[in-house]
Amino acid sequence: MSPDTVTIEAPDRREAPEAGRRRLPVHQDFVEKVAGSLRYADDWALPGMLHGVVVRATIACGRVTHVDASAALAVPGVHAVLTADDVPHNAVVEEASGLGIDPVPQPVLADGRVRYDGEPVALVAAETPGAAAEAAQLIEVDYEEEPGVFDAEEALEADAPPVHPGGNLYVSWRAAQGDVEAAMSAADAVVEGTYRTQHVDHAYLEPEAGVGWIDGDGVVTLRVSTQVIEHAREVAEVLELPHSKVRVIGAYMGGGFGGKEDMTVEPHLALLVWKTKRPVRMVWTRQESLLARQKRHPMVMRYRTGVTSEGEIVAEDIRIIGNAGAYPLLSSRVLFASAVNSTGPYRVPNVRVETSAVFTNTVPTSAMRGFGAMQVVFAYESQMDRIAEALGLDPVEVRERNFARRGDLRPTGEQLDTEVAIGECLHTALEALGERSPGAPGKRVGRGIGCNLQPYGRAVFFHDRASAWIGLERDGTLVVRAGVTDLGGGQAASLAQIAGEVLGVGIDRAAVHIADSSLTPLTGGTFATRQLYMSGNAVLTVARELRDRLAPVAAELLGGAPDDLEFADNGVRLREAPDRRIATAELARAAENKGVMPWHMGTFHAETGKFDVSAGRGRSFPDVTYGAHAAEVEVDEETGEVRILKYVACHDIGRAIDLQRAEGQIQGGAVQGIGYALAEEVPIEDGMCTSTLFADYLIPSSGDLPDVRAIALELHPGKGPFGARGIGEPPIGPPAPALASAIADAIGARVDQLPMTPERVLAAMRGASRPSGTEALAG
Amino acid sequence: MTATEVSFELNGRPVQVGVEPNQSLIEVLRTQVGATDVKHGCGEGVCGTCTVLLDGEPVNSCLLFAVQADGASVTTLRGLGHDEGNLHPLQESFLEHGGSQCGFCTPGMVLTAHWFLGQNPRPTREEIREALGGNLCRCTGYTKIVDAVDDHARANRSDHEEENRVA
Amino acid sequence: MYAAAFEYVRASSWNEAVHHLSEAGDEARVVAGGQSLVPMMMLRLAEPTVLVDVGRAAERSIQGTDGTLMLSALVRHVDLERSLVVAEACPVLAEAATHIGNIRVRHRGTIGGSLAHAEPTAELPCLAVALGASVRTLGPGGERTIAADDLFVTHLTTSLEVGEVITEVEVPVGGAGRGTCFLEMARRTGDFALVEVAAVVDLDGNGRCAGVRLVVGATADRPADVSSAAEPLLGEEPSERAAQEAGRAAAEALEIGPSTHGSASYRREIVGVLARRALLSATVRARGALGQDGDRR
Repeated sequence: MSPDTVTIEAPDRREAPEAGRRRLPVHQDFVEKVAGSLRYADDWALPGMLHGVVVRATIACGRVTHVDASAALAVPGVHAVLTADDVPHNAVVEEASGLGIDPVPQPVLADGRVRYDGEPVALVAAETPGAAAEAAQLIEVDYEEEPGVFDAEEALEADAPPVHPGGNLYVSWRAAQGDVEAAMSAADAVVEGTYRTQHVDHAYLEPEAGVGWIDGDGVVTLRVSTQVIEHAREVAEVLELPHSKVRVIGAYMGGGFGGKEDMTVEPHLALLVWKTKRPVRMVWTRQESLLARQKRHPMVMRYRTGVTSEGEIVAEDIRIIGNAGAYPLLSSRVLFASAVNSTGPYRVPNVRVETSAVFTNTVPTSAMRGFGAMQVVFAYESQMDRIAEALGLDPVEVRERNFARRGDLRPTGEQLDTEVAIGECLHTALEALGERSPGAPGKRVGRGIGCNLQPYGRAVFFHDRASAWIGLERDGTLVVRAGVTDLGGGQAASLAQIAGEVLGVGIDRAAVHIADSSLTPLTGGTFATRQLYMSGNAVLTVARELRDRLAPVAAELLGGAPDDLEFADNGVRLREAPDRRIATAELARAAENKGVMPWHMGTFHAETGKFDVSAGRGRSFPDVTYGAHAAEVEVDEETGEVRILKYVACHDIGRAIDLQRAEGQIQGGAVQGIGYALAEEVPIEDGMCTSTLFADYLIPSSGDLPDVRAIALELHPGKGPFGARGIGEPPIGPPAPALASAIADAIGARVDQLPMTPERVLAAMRGASRPSGTEALAG
Repeated sequence: MTATEVSFELNGRPVQVGVEPNQSLIEVLRTQVGATDVKHGCGEGVCGTCTVLLDGEPVNSCLLFAVQADGASVTTLRGLGHDEGNLHPLQESFLEHGGSQCGFCTPGMVLTAHWFLGQNPRPTREEIREALGGNLCRCTGYTKIVDAVDDHARANRSDHEEENRVA
Repeated sequence: MYAAAFEYVRASSWNEAVHHLSEAGDEARVVAGGQSLVPMMMLRLAEPTVLVDVGRAAERSIQGTDGTLMLSALVRHVDLERSLVVAEACPVLAEAATHIGNIRVRHRGTIGGSLAHAEPTAELPCLAVALGASVRTLGPGGERTIAADDLFVTHLTTSLEVGEVITEVEVPVGGAGRGTCFLEMARRTGDFALVEVAAVVDLDGNGRCAGVRLVVGATADRPADVSSAAEPLLGEEPSERAAQEAGRAAAEALEIGPSTHGSASYRREIVGVLARRALLSATVRARGALGQDGDRR
C-alpha cells in the first residue's frame, strides 16, 4: 500500500439518492450552453483571418511521386499551399509509453511515403472557405501505390509488407502470475473464446477546429478544441521554435472522448499561421474526421480460462492483438492498459497475458474512452457467461464466486488497494431491472449482465502531477486558475465546486480560468479519467492550504481560534457563535493588509511507482472504479434486430462531487457503449474507408433507446477528492457484454464479434443448437 | 459568380447581407450575422446541430443555400427571446436536469424541443424521444434531455397551448 | 465540403422554370427542398452551374377527386404525414413518409423532388411504382404524363428529358377493398433503407384477392416490381402461407446489390420477411376497409 495514500473515513454503506433536479445557480459554462452563447473553437474570428484546409492521401500505401499546386495557387484569394518541404521539423516524436518504448516518428505532412488512406499531404490557406475548398480540389497529387497490409494478424506474418522500417510489431506487453500451464492442466474445464472488436469513431458533435494567430510577443497562439494544451511543446518542435513561443488555449470542447487527446488541427494550423503571418482558421469536415482522425484499436482477443467444476477460476491465458494503424500515437499505452485490465474484476491466481500493438496501413488508432481497458470487458465477461454455460451454473453465481476483493493481485502482481464493491453493484443493477418483460409473437426477450473495472488516473510510473492557483479577489469572489481542459463533463465547474466548498464561496461568485498553456498552471490533459483525481485533488489541497493560511487572520478578527472557524456562505464565522461573522471580502482585504497574500498555488503529486517491463511486474494504475450493468432486450426472430427494453448501469463512485453529473456520465458512457456493441463501425476494406458519411456512422439516437437508469452508489472511497472515484470512462465497458449476454439469453447463441448487427444476431440464431431463454437472470 | 443581396428576418429583426449563391445558410448565419448559436456538426442534415426554424418550421441550415432564405423568417435558439440573465423556462429545465454536458447539440435540441412542444404540448416520454430522434447527442445518453423536456411540458402545459397555437 | 459556384434563379411558375432550364441546358438542376441534391453538391458529387429553385413555383396542393389523388410536386413529406385527404385516400403515402430522414428533412423534401432524384433507397419511388402512380411533367415540348413504371431508369437517373420538370403526381386511389402497406428496414429510424417493400392488396366483395402489387426498393438501382411473385394470391382469400410463399418467391427473383450495412444474402432474407408482413398487413387493412359497409372510410 502506498504511503502517500490519503485515508478517508469510510462511513457505513450508503446509497446516493438519484439526483433529481439541481438547484440553480449552476456554473457559467452550462448557462452559456443552454443559452447558445458559449464560444467553441470555431465561434471565434479575427480580422484578416484565412481559412485552412488539409489535402489528404487517397491511397492506403505507397509514395507521393508528384505534387502540382500551380492551379491551386492561381485561385483568387489563396495565400499558401504547403507540403512536407515547408515543415521546419516534419516529425512528431512522442515516447508515449512512459516505459522506454522507442518512439516512431510521425510526419506532419506525408514526406514521400503514404501509410494510410487520408494521411495529410498538403495544406491550403485562402481568404474564404470557398476559395480554400476550390484550391484544395485543384491540387494535383500523383501517387504510386504499393502493396500494404491491413489486418493486424496478417501484419505479424513474416512476409507482410513492413509499415515502418522496424517491422510491424510495435510493442508487446507481458504480465504473468503463478504457473498457468500447471493450473490449466489441473483445471476441471477449460473454456476458450476468441473475441473481435471493430474500428469505432469518437463521433463527438463538434468537429475538430481551431483558430491561430501570432500575438505581440511573437508567440504562435492556437485556440483549439483540445484535451491537451501541453501539445504546445510538440507544436514548437515542429516549427523549431522555443517552447515558450507557442501558446495553446483550450476552448470548451463539444466533446472529446479521447479523440482530441492527440493533436488534431494544431500542427497544421500552426504551420499556416507561421508561414502566412495571418490569423488562420481550420475546421475539419465531418467526413474528413471520420476518414482520418485516430480511432479506437480494433482487437482480437483470445482467452483460455481454466476453472474448477464449481466455476472458480484457476488459470487464465490471454493473447490480445491490437491494430495500431499506420502510426503509434498512444498505442503503447492502450495495449498496456489492456494487459493490466485483461482479467477484469476477478481473482485469477495463475495468469499469463500478452498484448501487442501491430502496425497496419490503416487509420492510426489511439485514445478513446475506455482506453484499452474497455475492449477486454467484452472478452472477460463473455468468458464468464461461457463458463456458466459450460458448467450449468448461474452466471451471477459464477461471477460472485470469482469477484476480486481488496488485497487480491492483478496480473502485474500489484494489489487492489481500495474496497471492491462490485457484488453490490451487480445486485443493485439486477434488482433495478425489475420484472422480466413478456415476449411478443415473433420476438424473444433476454436479460444479461456485464461487470467491469476501469482505471482512473494515469499509470503511476508517469509521476503524474497537477498544479492550481487559487485566490480571493478584494470583493470576496474566488478565482481558480488551472490548465484543465473541459470536454463537457464539468471539469471546470467541479473545480469551482471544490474550491468553493473549502473556502465557503458560492459557485456564482467563482470564476475558473482554464486551459491556457501560457497563463494557467499546467494540470495535464483531460483523459484517463484523471482530471477529477488530479486537478480536483490539486484544487482541494491548494484550497485547504489557502484556508489554513487565512484562518489566523479571520480568527483574530472574530476573536476565536483557527479551529473554531467555519468557511461558508461567502463568509467566515465562529462555529459556536454564527452571528460572529465576516464576509470573505473583508477577510481578503484584511489578509492583504497584513501581508498575508490571499492566494496560493500548489501541486498535487499522484502516487508513484515502478513497473518492470521485462518482468511484467510492478505498479500500474492508482485505482479503479467498479461497475455492473444489466440489460433486457427483445430480438426479432426473423430479422435479428435488437431492441433494448430496459437498461440499468450501476457504479460505485466513492463519493459524489456532483451526483447529477456522475449520473450523466454513466448514462452517456452507457449509450456510447451501446452504440459500440450494436451498431458502430468505421467501414474499412483493404485499408480504404468505404463510407465517410455521418449518415453511415450509426451512433445511437434517442428514438431507438429506452431510458438508461443510472445508479451511482457511494460505497467505498477512492483516491479522488473527498474520496471520489473517476466515472468518465467506466460506464462504457459493460454494455457490450451485457447486451451480448442478453442476446444470448434470448436466442440461445453468443455473438463474439462487435458490432452485434442484426445480420450477425440472425446468423448466430441460425447456428444455435439449443432453445433459448435460460431464465437465469429472472432477477 | 455574382454576389446577391439577401434579406430575411433573424430572430425578429431584419437583416440584409451580400452572399454568394454557393454559401450555405449556416455559413452566412454564423459568419455574417452573428448567429454563432447555430452549430455545424456534419453537413449532411443528419446530426441536428444546425437546426433553425425557417418560417416557423425546423430545417437543416447546412442544406440550404442562403439565397433560398430570401424573404423568410429565421429563428435560432436565441430567438426564444431570452438571454443568459433571463432564460426561457425550457432552457432552465435543461440546466436543472443536466440535459447539457458539452453543449454542442443543445441549441438544436432545445429549439427542436420547443417547436415540438408547440405541436404537442402533452407528449409522453416516448413521443419526446421520437421527436428528438433527429438530434444526435454523444454525451448525455438522452435520458436527462427527455427528463428536462418532460418536466417542462408538465409544468407549462397550459402556457404552451396559448403561446404556440399553430395554424 | 463546399458546393462549387453556380448561378441561382428562382422560378415563380412552372413555365418560368422550364424556360430557365432550357436556357441553361444540361448543366442546370432543379431544386425544391434540396435535401437530396444539396448534400451531393456539398460533397461535390453534383456540380450544376445553374440552380433553378422551384420551391415557390406553385401551390402545395393535395386534392382527392373521383378515385385519384392529385399532389403538387411541391407537396412535402411532412404534408403527406399531416394531410387528412391523404389519410383518407391513400394512407400508405403517409406511412412511407414517416421513414424519410428526420423531421427537418421532411419539412423541406418534396414528392416531386424525391421522384425526380431517383435515389435507390428512397421510399416514394418504390411506393409510386406499387401504386401505379404517374407524374405530370412540363418541358420544352409541352406537357406529358409518365407512368412511375417508366420513370426510374437507374441509380439517380430518370426518363425526364433536359428541361423537363415534374409538376404533379397522380395516384390512383383504388377501390373499396384496397389495403396497402409500406415497410422498411433501416438500422436507425430515418436512416437509409436496407430493404423497402410496398404492398397493395385489392379484395373483392367476397374477400378474395382481385389484385395485388408488390414492389421492393433499396435493393437495386431502381424499384423492383415483383408483383408476379404475388400472383398466386389472386382469386383466393390471402393466407399466411401464401404470403410467405410470395415473399420467398419475390426474394428469389431479385438481383441484390451491395450495401454498407448488410450483405446481399441477409437483405434477400429480409425481403422475404418484409414482403410477407406487408402483404398480410395490406390484407388486414383491406378487410377492414371492406368491413365498413363495403365503402371506403
